[in-house]
Amino acid sequence: MDRPRRSKPSTSRRNFLKLAAAGAAGAAVTSSWRPRYGVAKPAQITFLRESSFVKEFDEHFKNVLAPRYQKETGIKVNYEIVAAGGSAVPRLVSIVESKAPVDVAWVQQEWLYRDGLLDVSDIAEELGKKGGGWYPAVKELSFWEGKWKSVPFGNIGQVMVYRRDWFDAAGVTTFPDTWEEFLEAGTRLKKAGHPYGMSMGHGYADNNSWLLPLLWSFGAQPVDKAGKVTLDSHETARAVDYVRKLYKDACLDDCVGWLDIHNNKAFLTSQISCTNNATSILISAKRDLPSMGKVTDQALNPKGPKGRFHSLVATTHAIFKHTADPEASKHFLRWLMDPKQVTDWYRSGFMYYAPFLHAYDNDPEWDKEPRFKPDQKVLETGKLPSWPAPADHRAGEVVSKWIVIDMFAKACTGKSTRDAIAEAVTGLKQIYG
Amino acid sequence: MSVNRVLDAARPGVRAAVAGRLRWPRAWLERETVFSWLMLTPPLLFLVAFLGYPFCYGVYLSFVNRPVARPATFVGLGNFVNLWYDPIFWQAVWNTFRFTTAATVLKLAGGLGMALVMHQHFRLKGLTRALLLLPFIVPTVLSTVAWQWILDPGMGLFNRLLTYFHLADRGPSWLGNPTMAMVSVILVNTWRGLPFFGITILAGLQTIPAELHESATIDGAGTWQRFRHVTLPLLMPVIFIVTTFSIIFTFFDFQLVYVLTGGGPANSTHLMATYAYAVSMGGGQLGLGSAVALAMVPVLGVVLLLMSLYVRRD
Repeated sequence: MDRPRRSKPSTSRRNFLKLAAAGAAGAAVTSSWRPRYGVAKPAQITFLRESSFVKEFDEHFKNVLAPRYQKETGIKVNYEIVAAGGSAVPRLVSIVESKAPVDVAWVQQEWLYRDGLLDVSDIAEELGKKGGGWYPAVKELSFWEGKWKSVPFGNIGQVMVYRRDWFDAAGVTTFPDTWEEFLEAGTRLKKAGHPYGMSMGHGYADNNSWLLPLLWSFGAQPVDKAGKVTLDSHETARAVDYVRKLYKDACLDDCVGWLDIHNNKAFLTSQISCTNNATSILISAKRDLPSMGKVTDQALNPKGPKGRFHSLVATTHAIFKHTADPEASKHFLRWLMDPKQVTDWYRSGFMYYAPFLHAYDNDPEWDKEPRFKPDQKVLETGKLPSWPAPADHRAGEVVSKWIVIDMFAKACTGKSTRDAIAEAVTGLKQIYG
Repeated sequence: MSVNRVLDAARPGVRAAVAGRLRWPRAWLERETVFSWLMLTPPLLFLVAFLGYPFCYGVYLSFVNRPVARPATFVGLGNFVNLWYDPIFWQAVWNTFRFTTAATVLKLAGGLGMALVMHQHFRLKGLTRALLLLPFIVPTVLSTVAWQWILDPGMGLFNRLLTYFHLADRGPSWLGNPTMAMVSVILVNTWRGLPFFGITILAGLQTIPAELHESATIDGAGTWQRFRHVTLPLLMPVIFIVTTFSIIFTFFDFQLVYVLTGGGPANSTHLMATYAYAVSMGGGQLGLGSAVALAMVPVLGVVLLLMSLYVRRD
């Protein structure tokens, strides 16, 4: 991997003249690049992202944005892609620790390595002002101790994906609005041979995305705003009992151990009638299995006694503190997030990453496929997985140890509600004290 | 001008000195101490750089609180005390022992059987031996992804066979049930490690002189008695080595469980290696994660010590 290189300082007159001539020619071509006194332009910038489930999104960057930036500035963008499915966060952690030569990155779960990120307040504030403001939930992630440590990009909307034809056949013509209706419909569908597949294993998104909202909608919270463990409550017990019943009466047995890829596979092979997932299932079905694509639909999470919730899978862009040229990295990020670039980029991915700026709330792209709309609506009721506790490294430890998820999984695989909650509380107290 | 002509032209004393200098490196290399150190230095440097340094750094990390991108603060045995009261850690320890014991026993029994069959003469023996090595050669991540499909509840090969032969209405949930998930990871680990046992024990079998079997047969020993009193005792050193290596590999196994179950459901397949990874790389607690990893070392040391004592006793 190449580290962003600066032109070597030269002492000889001939070399100086050569450099000056090249610089003048470059400046003529790269009008948008404003060199700072005494600092040479870097030859390239390394930008790291997790591979997108929507291949058009990555292709747009490689084929349109990267060449455009090179044409405008003369700086090559080295686009490094990390495999999706849980390997991106460990890679980002190792980049921060080893100070690997990456300048700008798409980041997730930044509470783990926020201290290794550069202050990008100027870019985030400017974009917020011009773009109608950021959704407040993402500010709790990116804005930390008075500084923006990342520039919000988009949320991977996690919603209910279901087979409309099977629901219709079971007499459920509109997607259930409450968790009780969801259970009732699932019981009917399972009897008809089309169970739900609600992930409860050691994945990273598809488990949190329905279990946390369900818990919140029953009025329970693992940890309160002040960091006090509040999981042990009647509301939690009700949520656990509900999930156990849902698992037994409406779900495929296997889903209690599923990783993030398993529910995609099960849905696309017609083994399940409903799951909670990002748009990737619908996009894959439309692209590769047209007949299934026609009868696949998406809906918001059902609501509970305390309302409707969603869990955010927020993606942001950040600059590493160890970048060789902070100003060059900032220039690139500012350029990338400019509506001239980023709007088409969002659209190339069919709004898979729902923009956190209000300016995109009514983007015409949302109207092209009404079934994608719930992904945008998620932003209205979406909370970070740590909610209502701060999105700090302790919250990260809870997620990575699957403490809340396993509480439900244990209840589904034989533990009593009381024991499952007690074990989760022990785990939380070890982290929060 | 050649060296010899130069030497011929020189005075005898100078000539001897020049010849001595030319011989010097060779004579120096002839010294056993020098030569052995010369040969040892590259691997030693390699081991220090890629094993010694990370290990020492890991030991250091286990005594500090070290979240990612933050400075370390010394906590003494704090991380280990934390683990002592951590139920997930103890579950991972218990799982690791169950996984290692079951997989090693199965690999040993299966590997011995495989070696005994491979030791016979039959057509296409060479090709069969080569094919049996495949599980060991294919990258673990790749083969584990294939196993995900094989163990799939609806589309998987296992459940399809079970339903095809009417052995079950619907096959079990191989990865969704905590007990079955552990059985599945043991099964896949056994499949992958079997060739290592088979080929190594086969090499041991081939070193047993045929005369011993012949004389045992003349003395009236049956097949089982020949195996029990001739083959097995002579194979013991090989079995000990291969089992020791396998225990180490299995105890530290990570990839298989990480890809197949991620340690789930409900931590039922979490091993110490996967838990160390989850805590350090997923949770960003490098100190605590290192403590989990370091906790594996003394346990493994005790196992190996007990095994070597057992063998010496015999």
